[in-house]
Amino acid sequence: MNHNRSQQALVHLSLLVSLLLTILPWPSTVQLFMPQWAAMVIAYWSLHDQNRSVMFLAFFYGLLLDILMGSLLGKHGMSLVALSFLVLKSAKQLRMTSFWQLMLMVLVLLFNDVIIRLFIDWVSFGYLPVWQDFLPLLTVILIWPWLHYLLNRINTHLKQH
Amino acid sequence: MDALSQQQKLTQSPLFRFILLQFICLALMVADKNSQITQPIRQGLSWLALPIIKVVEWPQHIYQTVETAVARQAKLIDENNELKQNLLELRLQAQRNTALSAENQRLRDMLNTAQDLPIKTSVAFVTDIAQTQKRQHIVINQGQTDGLFLGQPVLSLGGVVGQVDVLSDHFAHVIVITDPAHIIPAEILRTGLRTLAYGHGQDLQLKEVPISADIQAGDVLITSGFGGRFPRGLTIATLSDVNISAQRDFQVANATPEAALSQLTEVFLVWPDEVLP
Repeated sequence: MNHNRSQQALVHLSLLVSLLLTILPWPSTVQLFMPQWAAMVIAYWSLHDQNRSVMFLAFFYGLLLDILMGSLLGKHGMSLVALSFLVLKSAKQLRMTSFWQLMLMVLVLLFNDVIIRLFIDWVSFGYLPVWQDFLPLLTVILIWPWLHYLLNRINTHLKQH
Repeated sequence: MDALSQQQKLTQSPLFRFILLQFICLALMVADKNSQITQPIRQGLSWLALPIIKVVEWPQHIYQTVETAVARQAKLIDENNELKQNLLELRLQAQRNTALSAENQRLRDMLNTAQDLPIKTSVAFVTDIAQTQKRQHIVINQGQTDGLFLGQPVLSLGGVVGQVDVLSDHFAHVIVITDPAHIIPAEILRTGLRTLAYGHGQDLQLKEVPISADIQAGDVLITSGFGGRFPRGLTIATLSDVNISAQRDFQVANATPEAALSQLTEVFLVWPDEVLP
């Protein structure tokens, strides 16, 4: 019970930090490579959280992200819920796979996340995608293993105490 | 009994939740795009978003405070002198303006036209330039509680900045005139030719100037007041070059915005319908 509660706190904390990282102002060259922090954290918790309410969390924090960024209400909600569902569905297999396979799957899912948001932009105000929109995926390759490792460490630490 | 457990299973299943949430998102997006009924949700959530924005602003504030504290006195004196100089010049201009506006008033009286009174304004500070969006937004630290409304004109000392695009309780996103989705009704100051200025990424573009029209590089572009969003006569941009379109049916001109859009720290909000007594 105690562990569950502290894990819940960690879930919320990590998501809040991911939102912060997303709206932090950076130079525009760095901004091009900004990974989808919130999406990565949601992917991690969909993979490892047992009590399966992650999809609602994804929805809620997605809406919050929309408010913060002034985008169409529900845009990030939709992409995060879709991501969460896809990871949840195959969570059991994904937890078993090797490091590289997991990485590949995460990349594919985050690519899908980018595509969903670009599609919504295209429908809502006729935005035409450019190749730079996919640069964040390169940073995801670098950051995902560390994020995964870090959250794993904190999570197991919480479990033991 | 069996039916009940079946039902419970259904609401517990991830697929059901997925479809439900996606449907809600879709409904929200359609509602947000086409009308303003999602505004209460936006306001409710903006209370939660406010602390996050404050946390992001905080280091910038600290930096500014420290910078002021550390700055050498000599530098401050220089700055003070410069500001005094500026103030003097502005006062001089204001004096000339009173004479001009009195003359203007007399002329208007003779012509029996509507009076052009000073309009209500307010100053807001830019908290963030939202580059993560596909749209060019700046975030300002005033919202609906300060009386802002959607589509409200936003200016800077240089010229027009844009208009309020997304409104929350305590902050607002302003769409910048150079955003490709933004169009502003404009007028060439020298000739009075009316046209539309399209956002073009880093600058503005006039796409629909007739071949015969007289425009040239260096012409100043002002708001025409058409559409009723922006008051008439605000500086927008200066034409940088004029060409003939590829189909040879129109003249195409690029214009550089007068407001330093990437270096804004404070902006002015205008209430065009509320005149001061």
